[in-house]
Amino acid sequence: MRAKRPRTSAPPIIRKEVLKRIGGEEAFLLELLDLYSREFALKTKAMEKAVRKADFKALRELGHGLKGSSANLSLPGLVAAALALETAAEAEDIAGARAALDRLKDEFARLKAYRG
Amino acid sequence: MTIRTADKPRGPIASTTGPAAVRRRNSPTILVAEDDPVSGRILEKNLTDWGHPILKARNGDEAWTALQNPRVRIAVLDWMMPGMDGLEICRRLRERPRRGYTYVILLTAKDSPTDIIAGIQAGADDYMTKPVNYQELRARLQTGRRIIELEDSLLVIQKRLTELATRDGLTSLWNREAILKFLEEELEHGARDGYATSIIMIDVDKFKNINDLHGHQTGDAVLRAVTDAVGKNVRPYDKVGRYGGDEIMVVLPNCSLYQVSKIAERIRASGAARKLRTGGRSIAVSLSLGCTSSECFPKPSVDGLILAGDKALYEAKRDGRNRVSLSDAVEEGPAFRAGKERRHAR
Repeated sequence: MRAKRPRTSAPPIIRKEVLKRIGGEEAFLLELLDLYSREFALKTKAMEKAVRKADFKALRELGHGLKGSSANLSLPGLVAAALALETAAEAEDIAGARAALDRLKDEFARLKAYRG
Repeated sequence: MTIRTADKPRGPIASTTGPAAVRRRNSPTILVAEDDPVSGRILEKNLTDWGHPILKARNGDEAWTALQNPRVRIAVLDWMMPGMDGLEICRRLRERPRRGYTYVILLTAKDSPTDIIAGIQAGADDYMTKPVNYQELRARLQTGRRIIELEDSLLVIQKRLTELATRDGLTSLWNREAILKFLEEELEHGARDGYATSIIMIDVDKFKNINDLHGHQTGDAVLRAVTDAVGKNVRPYDKVGRYGGDEIMVVLPNCSLYQVSKIAERIRASGAARKLRTGGRSIAVSLSLGCTSSECFPKPSVDGLILAGDKALYEAKRDGRNRVSLSDAVEEGPAFRAGKERRHAR
């Protein structure tokens, strides 16, 4: 099952929402996004490895974790892609997991481009 | 695992003088156990901004280690973590022997009623779904603090009640029941671990005369002064109790008859011919002491030791007071020799 892609015209981050959640400090948001990017890079490597090995347990945990941190930063596209990965891993659907991983990478690239 | 505070990121709880520092001093340390760095960082910043000292853990095992720190009274735990998960930590926390209560807020993306029930049943006090609303978390932490403060005030009352039930009102020494219980426990430990337990029975010489001549208030002052002298001459882990009237009993764990005779002599010397000044009068006070040890008995018992200690005390009185007497006149007997040999061997 291929995960449904969201409309790409929507911004990758809901700034107003996340700023409200973290107390309104722009500098702190930037710090968190840097932290998220570093974590995303590490997790992407781990997810690629898990897809190669069809390690669904690891994929489910990685998807779940990424879903949480993406939700904390109000990144709806990344939340949806992480959820798709978690769901595919639960269903032991390797094609779905691969597609979800591609979608995660796309969404992250969109966030990176948006940040400039 | 590190302790972080808002304006001093290194070392233990920061001590500055600003309002945040004042809040921190009055705040319990909060454990933040979260494997996701982003969520962990947001929690860390918010909690320190609100004046809470925090400890951070990145997995369940680190969290469990941090929870052994008695300063940690509130824990914000992620349900899903590597190693031990938040639910398992809650269960372990509630199973461990009671000490200060730890208030637990469980954080999770799981929001079905079944999950919430599972979390609460495992021992969580509160439950928040992710993404966390931090203002709501702040309010919920206030509830946690109130519970902790209530628990602490109850413990203070409980401690005071225990003291009232186990302490002698005049001298603040252990009362008769408490000192006998301590002796019983120490005899058991000694039998199990292979060490001798000794006792000293102490009596103020001619105490009745002091009361009759100078009044009971003076008698009370004498007892308090003797108590003070005894306390200064025993080891920190010995227990001193008021056995009855002017009779004081000292229980000395891991102490041979030879060692107890030395300690008893020290007490006697500290109280001997002591001039106590009270109400403009000077009163001479001396002590008689009877000692015995479990090593004098093939099968030591509380009753046996007290009987032997009392008998030794009687002998000290009979032989002229202001002296130490050992039970069964064993100064050159087997127990005394054994103690002496052990001492020389060391």
